[in-house]
Amino acid sequence: METADLSHHISRRFNEDLERVRTKVMAMGGFVEAQLANALTSLIEGDSSLGESVAIDDIKVNGMEISIDEECSRILATRSPAAGDLRVIVAIIKTITDLERIGDEGEKIGYIASRLASMERPENKYREIKHLGRIVSEMVHDALDAFARLDVDSALRVARQDRVVDEEYEAIHRQCITFMMEDPRTIRRALDVMWVVRSLERIGDHAKNICEYVIYMVYGKDVRHTRLEDVERSLREAAPAKS
Amino acid sequence: MKFSQATWFLLARIGLTVLVGAFAGWLLGHVFVGVAVALALALGWQLLNLFLLDQWLRHRGSRDPPDAPGIWGEVVSEVVRLHRRKRYHKQRLLDVFRELRRSTAAMPDGVIVLNRDWEIAWFNRMAGRLLDLRRRNDLHMRINNLVREPAFARYLEAADFAEPLTIARGSDMRTYLAFQVVPYGAEQHLMLVRDVSRQVALESMRKDFVANASHELRSPLTVITGYLETLHQDPMLDLELQGPISEMLRQAQRMNSIVRDLLELSRLDAIDKQSDGEPIDVAAVASMLRKDVLAHARHPAVSIRISSDALLLGDKEEIYSAFFNLVDNAAKYTPPEGSMEIHWSVSDSGEGVFAVSDTGIGIAAEYLPRITERFYRVDAGRSRVKGGFGLGLAIVKHVLQHHGARLEIQSAEGVGSTFTCYFPAKRVLHQVNRVSIPAVAEAPH
Repeated sequence: METADLSHHISRRFNEDLERVRTKVMAMGGFVEAQLANALTSLIEGDSSLGESVAIDDIKVNGMEISIDEECSRILATRSPAAGDLRVIVAIIKTITDLERIGDEGEKIGYIASRLASMERPENKYREIKHLGRIVSEMVHDALDAFARLDVDSALRVARQDRVVDEEYEAIHRQCITFMMEDPRTIRRALDVMWVVRSLERIGDHAKNICEYVIYMVYGKDVRHTRLEDVERSLREAAPAKS
Repeated sequence: MKFSQATWFLLARIGLTVLVGAFAGWLLGHVFVGVAVALALALGWQLLNLFLLDQWLRHRGSRDPPDAPGIWGEVVSEVVRLHRRKRYHKQRLLDVFRELRRSTAAMPDGVIVLNRDWEIAWFNRMAGRLLDLRRRNDLHMRINNLVREPAFARYLEAADFAEPLTIARGSDMRTYLAFQVVPYGAEQHLMLVRDVSRQVALESMRKDFVANASHELRSPLTVITGYLETLHQDPMLDLELQGPISEMLRQAQRMNSIVRDLLELSRLDAIDKQSDGEPIDVAAVASMLRKDVLAHARHPAVSIRISSDALLLGDKEEIYSAFFNLVDNAAKYTPPEGSMEIHWSVSDSGEGVFAVSDTGIGIAAEYLPRITERFYRVDAGRSRVKGGFGLGLAIVKHVLQHHGARLEIQSAEGVGSTFTCYFPAKRVLHQVNRVSIPAVAEAPH
């Protein structure tokens, strides 16, 4: 009787630990999402102080990463989780790295935005960046939703979205080159825009990585560096791994 | 215990059977064998009925009740009656429940039931639509895992649900949702979610309009006031015109200060985070304010009491304008033979307390709750004479909000009023231990 109670107690505490770390990851994700949204707003609306505050606040993202990392090490050391629990911890450790990188890219965008704010704004008011930014923000949002819900279907959908981002990146790239050839005076600004677009494209990649960790968590399958079609086919055959 | 009629019949029948058995036994010469056989038959009959009843109860749905005589029949009909009654009540409860669920589902606001750990226990259709929740996956999920906005997390953590929280959501940040949490039951929470995008848009339109209109009014007013001032000082001015001109000048100046207050308010509106601030010497501000009051032709006696040499951390201009409005109000509504006092102290709990008390006309209790509203005036005619526009206390309220402070008003009609600002302890800077100054306070100014 007593032993049964004890084991129940331990697993409950363990569950609470896991749940707390997961909530922390989601909170970090939420903060990163807000950072990205603010960085884009500061760029599109030419709000230099908002861009600066994004660049400064990146330090909070770093702090969150370190604190979650420590908590994960503590869980690994004291609870020695196995199977599904272990996969959750591993996925969390990887996810926060990607989130931190997304934060870094957001910081870059914020920094560039605060600089671009003092320059002449293009006629289209960075419409293409707005469009790409919206796609990428949605990817990050949906990737985190998929992470919270352990929803493989959504994860795959987000991963597929990465191709759209790549195409869009290519298109803006060409457009910028055209602008630079037409009028060399725009080169400086176009280069800055290129940096922002590059950052957004990287953020899309990080969101895709998070989706791959979701698949790893649920199926126990490492799908990194695999073509999306192959991933989908192998997932159709496989059943979710037992946790 | 009182036997029913059926029980008496049963006892009578058993007695009769035993008698018949005994008689038959007596005829055959074995009385006890006869009685035993009769009892066995009676017992067999009862067992058969019991078996039938049991079978029926097990398969009650599909079979008709057994046609049993005597007490067994009564048991059967009693069971049927209870069963019917139960079914009736169940149906009624179910109807009520369905009705309740239908009505909450049809509610125009999102409703989410949360347990102690902020896990979703139930949500209605509107909540699902507003927050993009899925019925199958998202039950037992922590809400802050799905609504990840940092402001939302802070709201849940602070657990102060007096005011609803409004956050921008969606990929274009154009959807505004208002969250309201109502605690109930055993640490459960009801969360109401409303789409307030339209209200927010209207509100920002209103603010923009006020800001733009005041801004546009300012330049023509400056021109008018400028000419009026020149005319007013012109010694060649017709005697007949002197009265009207000085009245026009006074009114133009009034309009100027209305516009200034409106601009100040819309500027305060636009700032939504608390100001870090710089150390302010309250004693110096108080003596400056006193001079302002004494500059008026008819003024009450003003005394200053400084009980603490602590500095106040805040935005210098905002704080000055708030304190100015408080002191100016007190001076306006206190007759020259009255008196007023400016008092700065630090309470036992470490709060900075700035109080302005007067022996003026006071405010009736029923007006107190609304007095900090924009353009609200207790007595429109009276305050117009005094040159009030109902914006002063609105400015005070906004400034105090920016500093995390609160305003308390004590007043009795005909006796006087005391307006007290309480600043949180972290905004009070004690001079003796300057070591504990937060980094922001060190910023040069």
